Amino acid sequence: MLMASLRNLLFRRVYTCSTTFYIPSLQLVRPTSALLPSLSTLGHFLPAPRISGQAKEWRCLSPLLASFSTSSEASTNEASASSYLSVRIRCRKDVADMLSDALLCFGASSASMDEPDDCDSTDEESFHPVKISEDLWIVPEWRTPPDAQATNIILNPGLAFGTGDHPTTKLCLVLLYSLIKGGEFFLDYGTGSGILGIAALKLGAALSVGVDVDPQAIRSALQNAALNNVGPQEMQLCLVDSMGNPLSAVGTTDGNVKGQSSHGIRLVAEKEKFDIVMANILLNPLMEMADHIVSYAKPGAVVGVSGILSEQLPQIEGRYMQFLEGMSVSEMDGWACLSGRKRITKYS
Amino acid sequence: MSSLKEILTRRPVAATIRLTVPAGAARPAPPVGPALGQYRLNLMAFCKDFNARTQKYKPDIPMAVTITAFKDNTFEFTVKSPSVTWYLKKAAGIESGSSRPGHVIASTITLKHIYEIAKVKQSDPYCQYMSLEAICKSIIGTANTMGIKVQKELD
Repeated sequence: MLMASLRNLLFRRVYTCSTTFYIPSLQLVRPTSALLPSLSTLGHFLPAPRISGQAKEWRCLSPLLASFSTSSEASTNEASASSYLSVRIRCRKDVADMLSDALLCFGASSASMDEPDDCDSTDEESFHPVKISEDLWIVPEWRTPPDAQATNIILNPGLAFGTGDHPTTKLCLVLLYSLIKGGEFFLDYGTGSGILGIAALKLGAALSVGVDVDPQAIRSALQNAALNNVGPQEMQLCLVDSMGNPLSAVGTTDGNVKGQSSHGIRLVAEKEKFDIVMANILLNPLMEMADHIVSYAKPGAVVGVSGILSEQLPQIEGRYMQFLEGMSVSEMDGWACLSGRKRITKYS
Repeated sequence: MSSLKEILTRRPVAATIRLTVPAGAARPAPPVGPALGQYRLNLMAFCKDFNARTQKYKPDIPMAVTITAFKDNTFEFTVKSPSVTWYLKKAAGIESGSSRPGHVIASTITLKHIYEIAKVKQSDPYCQYMSLEAICKSIIGTANTMGIKVQKELD
């Protein structure tokens, strides 16, 4: 019964919570070692994971085994006959019920649970590897790529946008996949987690610049660049304000970041330098900053915009028609992506 | 009643969440973050979707949104127009309603304001079956409870 219930909890997605277990210690001499074997035998009950998808749950229980602290000092001061060893175990919410049952069987006298303040383990379970095309995958940091031969982009988005799940991200990636031939300069306006910039580099672009108004996004993009072994000379990030003017460095005292952003500012300030410009933001910024975004593209370069609902498409088309020719639209799930080449001559 | 197809593909509902979020400004942080994060919904997808759908409103207008979270971690949401009280406060130019409604009048508005508000509210899902007159009556009722007096014309 115990094994079955423990096996069941491996398949569930759960939250963390702190559980305090009070275990009567009959021998105070070596309390911790008495506890450890019992918990490790608990570990033996857990079935070995066969599928890599379950590796996460397995891993979550080993911190469980590892992260408990004992407070035996307080109990030794009590001169009562029944002295308790209190153990704080950090584990997941669903697991906690089963675990408290199991530990009571093992001899704990009482178990109490406290809820944590934040539940930010949600991200980890909801991101799976996403297949964009035959040989392009987006893989979260904590999972192994399903296809090792393909181009895999490893991501940890944090609080920034862009996991590869959203239809707009997919549309942009598909567009990039078809566009990049090698050696292009790529500008990602509204970079979020940096996914488009990194994808461009992996597909063969020479240089990627990512721009965003959110410092959290810039930080996240830097992190992801490091995860994918992309250096500062290949990918630059710049924080801008909502009018597109470059701001100073993100606010870190890290010399690396400062160096990046100053070069990024220089590059961002150079208009008409980029072969591909992609902007995956929202309707209003796209409408307001149309001139600004398109000004970064070389004449004849490709400009792609997304983050728009299909019903907002006519507005965007009207706005960008004076800059772009040969516009093509791709749609997925009610979201649309518009792309076109920058006009070489002025629209009349 | 639901069609057979709907019954077969019905997803069990985990929870219904009601939130007030400023238009175009949904972020993964509080208030949206913990409320949705509890049910393990994809915060980013919701923020992006919500922001895209509220682009046509002026930024930072508080919109009421009802999210239906299903047990399989998917969700659907409907965005409703801002609350009548908010519109009335804007129309009357006051920050909050009167402290003693019925006795102390906070401000006055005209029927024209009520009419405009009713037209906006008509696009809301729950008002669609009501005639414009009925919506106006309901708005006047709300104004009375706030201590806003309705006049035919401004003097």
